[in-house]
Order: sequence, then structure tokens, then C-alpha cells
Amino acid sequence: MKFADFICSEAILAQLSAQDKETAIREMVQSLCSAGKIEQDEFESIVKAILKREELGSTGIGRGVAVPHTKHPSVNQLVGTVAVSPEGVDFASLDGEVVHLFFLLISPPDRPGDHLRALENISRQLRDDTFCRFLKQSKTIEDIKTILVEADNNQFAS
Amino acid sequence: MSETAITRTIVVTDPAGLHARTAVAIAAAVRRGQANVTLIKDDRRVPGTEVLQILTLVAEPGESVEIQASGPDARAVLDSIEPLLAGQFGDEA
Repeated sequence: MKFADFICSEAILAQLSAQDKETAIREMVQSLCSAGKIEQDEFESIVKAILKREELGSTGIGRGVAVPHTKHPSVNQLVGTVAVSPEGVDFASLDGEVVHLFFLLISPPDRPGDHLRALENISRQLRDDTFCRFLKQSKTIEDIKTILVEADNNQFAS
Repeated sequence: MSETAITRTIVVTDPAGLHARTAVAIAAAVRRGQANVTLIKDDRRVPGTEVLQILTLVAEPGESVEIQASGPDARAVLDSIEPLLAGQFGDEA
């Protein structure tokens, strides 16, 4: 699976302003609403579902990256966005580092495989230091889009 | 204390598969212990301490993951990992 298969480029955020977990999640979900990927009516329900799952354990997977996510019946295919926080957000990550890179995923309840393949793609690319550094240093949405396209073209991790 | 090496094959019964939170919990459990732990699926072998590598296994519900552990607390670490793959986090992705 490639980034283009699940990242909504219209919902990418290059300058996440949130300084805490809940606000960061709200900003990203709102961005997917504004891009038309999810219904505004479902906004609160999706935010609450993601926050509930974060209570079970942080999705801060280390290296300054988090993958907040949920299953939700209002989507019929995997949708996601990328956000960069220049300041960093405390996400109670495994390694204690603040999070600068977010990949937020919302998947249909009956498609666990798609979710796992998206996580595989994200994880494989993040293992490449250059990809990780370039994304964290991104200043604009266009910068992020370019890096994701390059990743999809196998210019980073193999 | 004697060095023991154990291999256990575990079927992923979590309906969401081996997802991010499970990978974080496995890595945390392995880092707490002293054992050297490797997760294996198909031909891919990854260290149990590395979340980003564990997630590249793409272990779906019903698939098997082999776990090799060696070291004084190998059995205890395996015992702590096994329920994580069985879906301790409940029905969530």
C-alpha cells in the first residue's frame, strides 16, 4: 500500500498548532472533515473514538511519530492525513519524546488488513532517517506532498 | 542463572491484527526484560524492541507469529507478550 492510497492530500497539515493530544486530534479530524473525507456530523463521534483508544495505550510509536486511529462505521474505505507539529506535542510516547509527525487513520470496521498495510508502509518509510528528517523539517503542505510522492516512488526505504 | 532459549508460535487472535498499540506494548515488555527477543513471520525477522520493525510484519487476524526469546527471563517475557497478540486491547484497530 502507498501513501497515495490512503492519505488525503487536501487534509495535510504542515503547521499543527495544537500543543496537547486532544487538540491535535481535533485539528486533524477537522481537516479531514473540511476536505470532505468524513461528514461533519461524525466529527465528535470520531474524535471521541480516537481519544478512547488513546486511553488504552498511546499510539506514540517513538522517533517523534504517532499514529492515532480508530475504526468507524461512517467511512467505507481507509482515510488518513499527515500533520507536522514544529513545536511537538506530548503524546506519552514509548520513548518519551514529543511527537512532531502524525499519521491519523480512520478505517472501516471490517477492513483490519488495510489498516495493517497502511501501518506497514508508514513504519517502513519511517525507518529511513532521511524520510523522517525531511518530513519533520517540512514547512509547507507542498513539501509534505512531495516527500510522500517520493516515498511512494521508493526513493527512501526499500 | 542459566541461559534459556525458547521459541513459541502464537496465532494472532486480536480482530484488529498486530496493530500499533500492540506493537508498542510488545516493545515495552521486551525492553523491560533482559531477554533477547525476535519476532518472525514468513521470512521476516525483527527485533522485539523495535515498534517500527514489528509493524512491518503485517500480522493479520488468524496468522501466526513465531517468537524466539533467549536469556534468563525468556519465559516470563514470552508469557507477557502472548496475551498482547491475543487482543488484550479488545475490539479496536
